[in-house]
Amino acid sequence: MRAGKWQIPETLYYSPDNYWVKLDGEEALLGLTEYGQYTTGDIIYLELVPAGATIRQGESFGSIESGKWVGNLVAPISGIVIENNCELEPNPRKINSDPYGKGWMLRVKLNDPCAAEGLMDAAAYQQWVEEQVRREQEDEVLA
Amino acid sequence: MSAVWRLLDTGSLPAAANMALDKVILAARSQDIVPNTVRFLQFSPHCVLVGYHQAVELEVEEEYCFQHGIEINRRITGGGNLYWDEGQLGWEVFARKDTPGIPVRLNDMYRLMCECAVAGLVRLGIRASYRPANDIEVGGRKISGTGGTEIGDAFMYQGSLLTDFDVDTMVKCLKLPVQKLKDKQVKSFKERVTCLREVLGYLPPMETIKQAMAEGFAEVLGVKLEPGKLTREEEEMLAQELPWFQSEKWIRGTRTLSQDNRLSIAEYKTPGGLIRVSLRLDRTRSLIKSAFITGDFFAYPERSILDLEAALKNSSIRASDVQKTVREFFASNEVRIPGVEPDDFCHALYLAINRTGDENEQVLL
Repeated sequence: MRAGKWQIPETLYYSPDNYWVKLDGEEALLGLTEYGQYTTGDIIYLELVPAGATIRQGESFGSIESGKWVGNLVAPISGIVIENNCELEPNPRKINSDPYGKGWMLRVKLNDPCAAEGLMDAAAYQQWVEEQVRREQEDEVLA
Repeated sequence: MSAVWRLLDTGSLPAAANMALDKVILAARSQDIVPNTVRFLQFSPHCVLVGYHQAVELEVEEEYCFQHGIEINRRITGGGNLYWDEGQLGWEVFARKDTPGIPVRLNDMYRLMCECAVAGLVRLGIRASYRPANDIEVGGRKISGTGGTEIGDAFMYQGSLLTDFDVDTMVKCLKLPVQKLKDKQVKSFKERVTCLREVLGYLPPMETIKQAMAEGFAEVLGVKLEPGKLTREEEEMLAQELPWFQSEKWIRGTRTLSQDNRLSIAEYKTPGGLIRVSLRLDRTRSLIKSAFITGDFFAYPERSILDLEAALKNSSIRASDVQKTVREFFASNEVRIPGVEPDDFCHALYLAINRTGDENEQVLL
């Protein structure tokens, strides 16, 4: 599935902050979506919370720098970090080049098996991205 | 009817207070307890600021700063090390991300914010322009650098404006890719930046500069700026935050585990002349942190080498990526350098990237 030029895998769940979540029983893998990395730009620094840390939905799990912008990474789900992708610190642009593959960020043990509640499925995220793009185009016309 | 934004002028403050205020105003905006805001700021005493992810010991000549009363602090925004003397003017925009007209894509936002500052400079009679990703330049020479960050649904975008700049002190207090170079090349490095006094031939009063910049922001953002003050809540938050921004833990507490900042120098002979390349490299992340290119070749337009340096900043040091960056630069810019091909620059860059520290000692110029 796609929204514009951005891929949206149908098996994943999504947050409005442009993170994807892959559920696997009591565990989940998460990262930035292809549209998310596009809006962020080339990533040059990344800091992720370590294994053992607790992350909470809507709260920061690290920081990211692109261009000269520092942004918070915002957790799409709550849980305990089992593993962070240590390949990303020396190679943060893997998030740009392979956001759904080598660019994964955290593997998490979920607090709640219903963690996907509140997240969007691929179809809903596709609509959400298209809405963002439409709004942006309207703003450009008004400007 | 135009939206009304607050115009703050917090005057000259120490570095820690200005850094704390960045966080305070941004947090207040994210909590919706203050309106969208444009702030002007200045620093006293003079200071060095590193970017959020930078390490002070890699970026600052600390002994020189200590001896000359130059404060050291860390920004909450990204980017590189900066020297702020007391004559510079800082500008900042605090707004909600969903403000109409604010682009979602960060690169588009950088452009919009820089266009605000450019509009202000045009009012002062300066032909400035935006240079991707984050700079404002005049004739290829940098006059304003910018950066940003976010808290929740609000963002801050900030920039410096060089009014009357002490470039000699900048070269001494920052770790730049010019150490160990000859005076002539250091002079060339200094010419990478310019300031209002140099461009205009005189320095307008600070109030005139602020007025022009405010008008530029109001015009491009399509808003009305009304002078205001910090709110009581912001003052209270500032009192709470200030000790943290004064602490060594904040200033030196980068959480980025492994960083690198090596100087690498090389020369490469071409039919059109010698290319000298001086790079600051982060080998851990395979990045060119900054590039300085000189030589006895002739480039038309002259500014093209400065633009190439900007294109190389934060680019990958992998050979295939260097080639791509350089070739794309030459393909999308009309540059003529008799006797020098784009791939000659690639070779010069490869040489510098592949040198070790010991080899550099042998090729010092």
